[in-house]
Amino acid sequence: MSKYLDKSIIELNELLKTKKITPLDLVEEAFTKIEQEKELNAFITLNKEEALKEAKELENLEVDNLLFGIPIAIKDNILTKDLRTTCASHMLENFIPIYDATVIEKIKEKHMIIIGKTNMDEFAMGSSSRTSYFGAPHNPWNKEKISGGSSGGSAVAISARLLPLALGSDTGGSIRQPASYCGIVGMKPTYGRISRYGVVAFASSLDQVGPMTRNVYENALLLNSLVGRDEKDLTSSKKEPEDFTRKIGQDICKMKIAIPNYFMSDIVTEEIRDKIKEVIQLLEQKGAIVDYVDIAYLENAVTLYQIIAMGEASSNLARFDGIRYGHSKENPKDIDDVYYGSREEGFGEEVKRRIMVGSYILSGDNAKKYYDKALSIRSDIRTSFLKTFEEYDLIIGPTTTTTAYDLTEPTDPVKTFFDDVLVIPVNMAGLPGLNIPVAFSKEQMPIGLHIIGKPFDESTIYQLASFIEKELNLNLNPKGSDEDE
Amino acid sequence: MSNYIPTIGIEVHVELKTNSKIFSSSKNGYGMGANTLTNVIDLGYPGTLPTVNEEVINIAIKAATVLHCKIRKMMHFDRKNYFYPDNSKNYQITQSRTPIGYDGYIEIELNGTKKMIEIEEIHIEEDTCKSAHRKNITLLDFNRAGVPLIEIVTKPCIASAEEAKLYIEKLRETLLYANISDCKIEEGSMRCDANVSLRKEESDPYGTKVEIKNIGSISNVKLSIEKEIIRQQKLYENHETFQEQTRRFDSKLNDTVLMRIKETGNDYRYFPEPDIPYLYLTDEQIEEVQKTIPILPDERRKLYEERKMSKVNIEKLIAHPELSDFLNQYLETSIDFQIASNLLLGDISSYLNKENKLLKETKLTKEKFTEIVEKTSNRTLTSKNIKELLTDILEKDQTISELIKEKNISNITDDHILKEIIQQVLENNPESVKDYLDGHDRALKYLMGQIMKETKGSADPLLATTILKEELSLKK
Repeated sequence: MSKYLDKSIIELNELLKTKKITPLDLVEEAFTKIEQEKELNAFITLNKEEALKEAKELENLEVDNLLFGIPIAIKDNILTKDLRTTCASHMLENFIPIYDATVIEKIKEKHMIIIGKTNMDEFAMGSSSRTSYFGAPHNPWNKEKISGGSSGGSAVAISARLLPLALGSDTGGSIRQPASYCGIVGMKPTYGRISRYGVVAFASSLDQVGPMTRNVYENALLLNSLVGRDEKDLTSSKKEPEDFTRKIGQDICKMKIAIPNYFMSDIVTEEIRDKIKEVIQLLEQKGAIVDYVDIAYLENAVTLYQIIAMGEASSNLARFDGIRYGHSKENPKDIDDVYYGSREEGFGEEVKRRIMVGSYILSGDNAKKYYDKALSIRSDIRTSFLKTFEEYDLIIGPTTTTTAYDLTEPTDPVKTFFDDVLVIPVNMAGLPGLNIPVAFSKEQMPIGLHIIGKPFDESTIYQLASFIEKELNLNLNPKGSDEDE
Repeated sequence: MSNYIPTIGIEVHVELKTNSKIFSSSKNGYGMGANTLTNVIDLGYPGTLPTVNEEVINIAIKAATVLHCKIRKMMHFDRKNYFYPDNSKNYQITQSRTPIGYDGYIEIELNGTKKMIEIEEIHIEEDTCKSAHRKNITLLDFNRAGVPLIEIVTKPCIASAEEAKLYIEKLRETLLYANISDCKIEEGSMRCDANVSLRKEESDPYGTKVEIKNIGSISNVKLSIEKEIIRQQKLYENHETFQEQTRRFDSKLNDTVLMRIKETGNDYRYFPEPDIPYLYLTDEQIEEVQKTIPILPDERRKLYEERKMSKVNIEKLIAHPELSDFLNQYLETSIDFQIASNLLLGDISSYLNKENKLLKETKLTKEKFTEIVEKTSNRTLTSKNIKELLTDILEKDQTISELIKEKNISNITDDHILKEIIQQVLENNPESVKDYLDGHDRALKYLMGQIMKETKGSADPLLATTILKEELSLKK
């Protein structure tokens, strides 16, 4: 069935350059696959007409970079001009942005072709994509299972090989956790690496966009095209762009790797711990030095995250008031009815819950008691990570405590946060972190390794990840081998 | 009134004169078509982020300096969360915890006694949009949304309505001079709120606070506070209690009117703005800004007094910054400041008013002005000459001497010529001479008039009077 899209980006680039295929071939194949796998519910909005038009236009242009003409999926909280952006919410069900996010401008500069907007938890609030107004996406490894979230749609699209590239966003694990559940590579870069301008804010001090791909090299390649200082985002870093693929293929002998004891404690299933231990053994065999360490405050990260993320979210989502854009209650009685009515109707349960908790957290003396305190312990978490990095190049552990669970499993709003207990500390410390699939459970569900790097040291993460990828050589196509078609 | 002590604190918002808005690149302007000076940031569009206009920070440094505040070198912004249609994000970006300036003062003079009005803090924030209510709809104009503001808050240290008025006047004058804001209360670029409470004794705790919002003019600052003090006093005298509240001044009713009772503990859920990193001011930046501050009014008053300018002229000149700035070019010279200020405030001001021009739009140069001041001092030119010449001086490039020649002005400062004319006048008016000698001083004025008529006004009046008196005394 698959003609080209299972091939690597390098192969596709060669075919495009030699005019053996055109971008239109890739775009048409992507839409065919999406149609065939419709029940995965990976997309909220398809950009069919525009994508086909763009693909045709590209035929007249020189293939000037590796990502030229490659189909890409965009998480639906990243603003795309003239293409509906819903945040998976009734509130923005009919919202057509009038500008492109900075990352979208960059993607268009490289002539990648935007295929559509992917499903997610409403306003990125959730960890199974089940809070989506448009229904949950399904895990391609087992359609009864969750995709994870909040970037569930992007993870599903890549895992099911609907297309090779996707963008996600990660506030408290929302790229890495679904990447782990779906068996793909997902990177949350260092806070500030990628501009947040045009990304609908959930928790401003934590949000970060990142690449989601089938393999490590393509992940680094996509990251290359996304980074750089943006004068429109004061929190974006002034670091010069660099080639994140440059350490790929380098030896990992003498690399110093730390594993926090907490990450391998009984909060993680035994099955996952065993698989991670196998990876550790492999690394040691190959000459890496792996030590178990203690990192202070890791166990507090989820609580701190709840305070900071919900506090900021309650303020960020205040702008959805039914006045200038988004859902607005019909025939309101007065201004209060516009506010209460539009927000009551427009937001889903989880979003409302978080706005309420967040408002409470910032109320009166609570701001000092909770929010300020959380900020201060958060900086302690960062400090304790940085201390570990004085001696180690990388920190690793499992990405998730379990594999993807059943879609029918009841949602417990508090327990949900603990799906992200291993990934949240990385957001709190503003560090880069990546998921790479390293094994499968007895149920044939993917298990991921979490690799955490020093601030702005994404390239060393890619070095280790690609080494492991090559050593393990897993088949990550849920339908069989990529080459088998 | 004597048995209650008022405590007054004043909050003033002023719009800063910047090219663009505080957190976006939209133009900062007034009087344009509704919603023409806006972009996605001003409208609080999803995904937008604020940037910080460096110009705003610099002007705020200037404001903190001229109000004698300490300047905070490490600061951040905060979000003030509240739902209101004029607030596009439903939070306002302001400075709650780290105001740029604090612990300052302004000096006022009340009946010859100087008093410091202490300034608690100056902080930077964004303005809201403007709402216009029409029957049952409200229209929103976001041109003003994101216009930079500074808020200047005094300590509760103002003791009377008169002091409040003097404070506002002095504040306005200072901000105008430092080119911080145009301070137009009618256009809303300066807005005053006053907090007023009464108590019996200095040792008593403060009484219940009433805020008078958005007072529309400086004279109303005084009036509204006076009325509010009387109103509260009556309530106390009748043993009535009242709640903390917000009122406004109604100039038709000539009294304050209730707007709303303050809800207990307004909860704005302040927290540090995560989209804007901490700002660090350097000593160099602060010094650089401070260098651009012109001489302030009080310093000018001192300089003019030293140069023997009349009090009336000093105040008039201070009220016209452009004229005062012009005159300050001569601080290092020895020209007569009284004469110079007379010229500026007299004929030159009338010309500017009539033509609706600024001084800098005329052809008056530093050299030309020096010349007319000097020629006036040594009486080469009379005030009549000035009137004759002024339009040309201000509109033409020629030098004063060229203009005098062209206008054919030859002043009779020559004793001999004048003497001859005067003798002729006396001969022609024997009646008046007789009247004068009989003790009727009126006759002197008449004779002077005849001399002026004869000389077509070009006689130096002082000289003419002297000669006339001499000639008359010879007739005794």
